[in-house]
Amino acid sequence: MSSSPLASAPEGRPGLPGAALGGLALAALLAVALPFFTTGYVVYIANLLLVFVVLCLGLHIVIGETGQFSMAHAAFYGIGIYASALANRAVDLPYPFAMLFGALVAGAVGLFIGALALRMRDIYLALATFAFGEAMQWVFANWDSVTNGPNGLRIAPARFGPLEILSDKQAYPFVLFFCLLAIGFTVVVSRSRLGRAFRAVRESEVAAMAMGIDVRRTRVIGFGLSAAVAGFAGGMFGLFQTFIHPDSLGFQTTILVLTMVVVGGLGSIWGAIGGAIVFGLISEVLRQAPQYQEIIYGAILMLFMMYAPHGLFAFVGERIREARHGR
Amino acid sequence: MRTTRVAVGLALAASLFTGLAARAEDPGITDKAIKIGIFGPLSGPNMAYGFDVVNAAKMYYDKINKEGGIHGRKIEYVVEDDRCNANDLVAAVKKLVEQDQVFMLNGGSCSAAVVAAKDYVVRNKVPLLMLNASGDGALFPPTDYIFGAYSISQYAVGGAMIEFAAKKLGAKTVAYINHDDAYGAWNLEGSKKDAEVNGVKLVVESVNPNINDVTAPFLKLRAANPDAILLVTYARPAALLIKKAHEMGFNKPIILSVTGTASLGQLAENVGKDALKNFYTQEVMIDSPGGAKLKPIYDMYKAAYPDLAAKPDHPQTYMPYGIPSAMSLVKALQDAGPNPTREKVLAALKTQDFDSGVMAGRIQFGPQQRAANRSTIFIKYDGNTMTPLPGVFTSRWTYQAK
Amino acid sequence: MDLQLALIFLQQGIASGLVSGSVYALLALAIVVIFKTSDVPNFAQGEVFMAAGYVALYLFVFQQMPIWVVLPATLVVAFLAMALFRRFVLDQVAKSAKDLVYLVIATLGLSYVLKGLVRRTGFGDTPRSFPALVPTDSIMIGQASVTLLDLAIFGTAVVVMAAFFWMFNYTKIGRAMRAVGMNPKAAQLVGVDLRRCHMLIWGLSGVISAIAALLISPKILMTADMGSIVMLAFAAAIVGGFSSLPGAVVGGFVIGIVENLVGLFISSRAIVLAPFLAILIVLVLRPQGLFGGKLTIKKV
Repeated sequence: MSSSPLASAPEGRPGLPGAALGGLALAALLAVALPFFTTGYVVYIANLLLVFVVLCLGLHIVIGETGQFSMAHAAFYGIGIYASALANRAVDLPYPFAMLFGALVAGAVGLFIGALALRMRDIYLALATFAFGEAMQWVFANWDSVTNGPNGLRIAPARFGPLEILSDKQAYPFVLFFCLLAIGFTVVVSRSRLGRAFRAVRESEVAAMAMGIDVRRTRVIGFGLSAAVAGFAGGMFGLFQTFIHPDSLGFQTTILVLTMVVVGGLGSIWGAIGGAIVFGLISEVLRQAPQYQEIIYGAILMLFMMYAPHGLFAFVGERIREARHGR
Repeated sequence: MRTTRVAVGLALAASLFTGLAARAEDPGITDKAIKIGIFGPLSGPNMAYGFDVVNAAKMYYDKINKEGGIHGRKIEYVVEDDRCNANDLVAAVKKLVEQDQVFMLNGGSCSAAVVAAKDYVVRNKVPLLMLNASGDGALFPPTDYIFGAYSISQYAVGGAMIEFAAKKLGAKTVAYINHDDAYGAWNLEGSKKDAEVNGVKLVVESVNPNINDVTAPFLKLRAANPDAILLVTYARPAALLIKKAHEMGFNKPIILSVTGTASLGQLAENVGKDALKNFYTQEVMIDSPGGAKLKPIYDMYKAAYPDLAAKPDHPQTYMPYGIPSAMSLVKALQDAGPNPTREKVLAALKTQDFDSGVMAGRIQFGPQQRAANRSTIFIKYDGNTMTPLPGVFTSRWTYQAK
Repeated sequence: MDLQLALIFLQQGIASGLVSGSVYALLALAIVVIFKTSDVPNFAQGEVFMAAGYVALYLFVFQQMPIWVVLPATLVVAFLAMALFRRFVLDQVAKSAKDLVYLVIATLGLSYVLKGLVRRTGFGDTPRSFPALVPTDSIMIGQASVTLLDLAIFGTAVVVMAAFFWMFNYTKIGRAMRAVGMNPKAAQLVGVDLRRCHMLIWGLSGVISAIAALLISPKILMTADMGSIVMLAFAAAIVGGFSSLPGAVVGGFVIGIVENLVGLFISSRAIVLAPFLAILIVLVLRPQGLFGGKLTIKKV
């Protein structure tokens, strides 16, 4: 994650149609200009969305790339939040070091879970990771001496040399930068030998083995990387949030991230990113319709699975294609 | 070095936004109106803790407006749902402060979530008066901006119960069941002082609020042979424990904390009247919910929300808790004079001391005191009638800087 | 802890654990029968259980209907809801996508909708109880105290499970269900109507959940979130091997007892952790569960 990250930032993908490229440019402009014309509230929502984008990238690596079912994402995210907040408090170094520490701890735990996950798959893996996630939430809430238990942990402001981050608008450029960094990282991984190995394992383990891929190692690494990215998202959270409570690191959060990835379209990086943004906005807008939000949320999930299982973007793309051919 | 240059650029951008973030003095106030931001759980699993509390605050502001407002200004309120979830609560608070530009905040029904807004509110110097959250994590150590515990400080809940058990029931060994969450940690900490002064031995079991089978904690407490059981839990675990105690033939006094008394009638239905032969419940209001002394509040609710009042379970038990919070806000604005600023309101709050006519104790702040109420009464309940017992019981707990 | 006390703890822990365990077992059975035949872990099972409880509560307490109407009406509603969900939602999902994860998420969607609907009624805020149909007087078994209601719960659960085993193993329709679980294509060839068979299985699973709700509601109290009890059922199913019906039942009893023993001999705080640890330990050490045969690994 250290070597010239900007070089790998996504600058439009070869083969992307002109309209999509234009949309991307518009989105980039909007992203940069955002803090200049909106309130801190909107920037806060943007910061949260960017964190969820990175969380979705993490889940994409394990589910989308390696095809393993993981339901412990909130746990890795939480490990990242706690580890980077505690590191930030313990040593007087610029905040990225704390973030790196958070990502490493989460990644290490991810490797361990990945090693356990070698023994099972499908629903068994889903339930095992689910149980691990619940157990971790219990640990966050009961390991008082480290996490401050059910009182929640106050996160000290992030520092970059003399600059102390005290507002959402100040944090925004950093959050955006780290988000782009994570996107770049995921794209690089996905296009590397490792990424090809991931997908080979997803499609057929036997074929992958025949190609000389170490299937076990690949699966474990997939878990570790996924967890590290989730932990990194936890570090990003600490850039602009001042408090973390175990209540917000439960199954709800895992499901939210899973839903985003699925709504965006399983197996596609851009789907994961788009899903995070679209579903994150829906969730915030639903806060205005409190009486019905659970029903709407559930209905969206069911309808998507029924009529647009390959994600919002595939669905829209298909409709456009149909319209064109129809003419 | 490219990375350094990136860092410098980002830092520059960040410092640019610092300038942008600076805002004009005290928004949300004009000659005609004062804008207030209300937030509480209007949806989701914790709705029962805040939905009608928000409604109570709203109807009180409407009443003040009908009577002419405060120094000629009407109160305008904007309401946001916080789902009792930290991220959503912070989003609601930031929306109210930055988008709606409110003068001050009146919100928060869930203690753990409201703490998440602490740093933001303090940094932006916005007065926050909590609704019914105990929110001790945000109240202590005291800040200039956050006031709360209008229902009761969670630190005082357990201590007041021990005071009652020792003084009125003569208990020497007390079984104490709390939750393994923030509430539980606070009320247990606050109880220790009162237990020590009264020479009471505490036997503690902490359980998760989602527990289904309470056999284990109950057996362990019974093994300590207590003179009374204090249930400092939410309504569901409390009902499960009362049932279990009855099934196991336990007949010593059971005292239920205010956090577990969502609806006493429902409790009787849930556990059966036989289980309530030696049962007391704590109340932070001057009377039992729906009691004679609180009738004006309930009448006001019926007049303001006829549709809701017709629905089952409405008004929700915690409804009246919204009133003292709104009263405190109105009183602080009145005391701040005809040209109120946030600073003047905060100064008025720091010395506020009045009788709400709703709560058991006075609404009382001080230089170090950010928890409005620390007093409770106790009610004997046998499944049919609620008999408020004489005496007000107050915990000895006070904030000590560490 | 002296031995005398430890013995009382042990007896009471096992007795109470068997009672709550019998309900976990019922729910685990409902989950496993669906998984065996559709390969889908139904994450909405807890909410179906919860919603069925509220249907009964509504009819019995708020509409004052006689109990002999309420009980069958509740079971019919649960049957129809699950059968129709299978027919109109999941069949459509299965048509659009092959992967397991899509079906799982559709069941999660159902769980949100049911929870939201129950909360909309306004009955879900305060914990309520479905009136016990059996007196709650206590009797002593050894040094353990149990209520008549406990015995009734245990007895009914065992009878329902036995009836279900009989149906699944010895009737024509049960054989069809098992055939669908083993090889749907072959089952179709020999004349099994797949769609109807799936609807029947999901409907029956709904009925079992509803029975579990009717049994335990007087005991654990109802809230809109009571469906979270399904985690204990998932733990039970895992302990039993996830595709074994007798395994699910034994798993239910094991989880019920373990919950109490952890609470009694380790810490009350750890009670909620017990099922998750049970899942992790079983999956890591013996992924096929206590009763599962060899682990079938599906290759794509």
